[in-house]
Amino acid sequence: MSVEMRRPAQPATEGREEPTPQGAVPMWLFILLFVALFWGMNYFDRHGAWFNGRVYAPYRSLAELQMHQPPTGGINLERGRAVYESVCALCHGVDGKGKPGQAPPLAGAEWVLGPVNRLVRIPLAGLTGPIEVNGQQWNLAMPAMGAALSDEDLAAVLSYMRTSWGNKGTEVTAEQVGAVRKEIGNRTQPFTAAELLTVQ
Amino acid sequence: MRHGALVYLGAFFALALSWTGFVLTPQMQVGQMVATNTVPAGARYPVARPGLAQQGLQVYRANGCAYCHSQQVWQQGTVFDVMLTDGGTNQPGVVAALQAVMPRLSRPEALQLLEGLPKPVLRGVSREEAESAVKKLTTSGAKATLWIEAVGPDLARGWGKRRSVPEDFLYDYPVLLGAQRVGPDLADVGVRQPDVGWHLRHLYAPASVVTGSVMPGYPYLFEKRRVVGAGSADALALSGDHAPEVGYEVVPKPEAKALAAYLVSLRADAPLFTAPFSVGASGGPAAPATNAAPTAGGGVP
Repeated sequence: MSVEMRRPAQPATEGREEPTPQGAVPMWLFILLFVALFWGMNYFDRHGAWFNGRVYAPYRSLAELQMHQPPTGGINLERGRAVYESVCALCHGVDGKGKPGQAPPLAGAEWVLGPVNRLVRIPLAGLTGPIEVNGQQWNLAMPAMGAALSDEDLAAVLSYMRTSWGNKGTEVTAEQVGAVRKEIGNRTQPFTAAELLTVQ
Repeated sequence: MRHGALVYLGAFFALALSWTGFVLTPQMQVGQMVATNTVPAGARYPVARPGLAQQGLQVYRANGCAYCHSQQVWQQGTVFDVMLTDGGTNQPGVVAALQAVMPRLSRPEALQLLEGLPKPVLRGVSREEAESAVKKLTTSGAKATLWIEAVGPDLARGWGKRRSVPEDFLYDYPVLLGAQRVGPDLADVGVRQPDVGWHLRHLYAPASVVTGSVMPGYPYLFEKRRVVGAGSADALALSGDHAPEVGYEVVPKPEAKALAAYLVSLRADAPLFTAPFSVGASGGPAAPATNAAPTAGGGVP
């Protein structure tokens, strides 16, 4: 180029541009550009999170970011079942229906589905004396079966009771169990039904 | 000029497009940013700096710290781990659950794993795998947690626990991101080294606290003076070659105190929705709590 430019200007072409040859842009260039554009759009769609101001790399979408949020601490009902079957089921039955002469039912029982503070007291200190469960009179004694369990395990097993066998209660948290444990202190005297009814 | 209007419009739209992309869109995305909450604790983040630290930002700026130190941590990815935090009392059940989670684990190895908890059981698995492992382990009576860990070269160096996000710089004016890393990243230097005295000694004579440091000293931020009476309470505890002559003491000027307060206030370690990670039991896989003195790995201050 530079060599040509140093030549004296030729009169024939002075002041005029060479006409652009028609069809100079080859078809393969168009196809290449379209392929690149298509790839770019796909890449943006996969990685760009559509301009969401809360999503930064290495996350590629809001859904992926939400998937990486730490779990909120919940009650493990599977653990509750394991504890129930090893500690409670001997008397109350695996199906929570209770056993005549041994223990009243837990399925559908108002004591299980009632106030949490009332329910937590029963395994912590035991229960004795006459009690009406599901319209039936019982008069047995339950030892403090849950006193040795940790707050988490007791919360898990009580949550399992309140959500199994057709029961539709709320879950019990370890904090609730801990609060009741603190409240009753080192009480070893079992509760009676009348005493529990004063607890809300 | 022919097609003058066309050239003008073309230039106008080319400039308008880049202005939209580089100025308007970021302004719409983060321009109205306010303080956010940490996840899951729900604490306010970020917290405005104390006044002295706010002044320290200007000292940091004036001394060109940003030319050698960045304040932006890059994160390559995020992995899910399963952390065993408590073995519980049901040892045979926990060992069986561990073997179900890690099929190639022998019984003695499983028993060994139960020593010195918390320990990671699985690392870098998918969320489903991690959740089912946590479920199996907690069902057996152990305590295990799903652990979300940010990973990347910067984080492996101990420069933080997550990537930097715009919230970290909400109260910075100007924002001093820095582009070069002659020294280490300072985004969470206040977490790694919370000791103001260390920072003051480091600013006065970097080699006095970090062997082989290439950082220049900033002695003009300090005053060397004759000890009067019992001496100043602020005097630096220097030793060896860096200590002043007998009868003299090195006392930080207000600028040095402000700069040290600013460095200690750099604590970009809160888990946020935009940059999640798990905070929890000590001894986790995340970076150790205090590692500001970059002794290992040939790091320079």
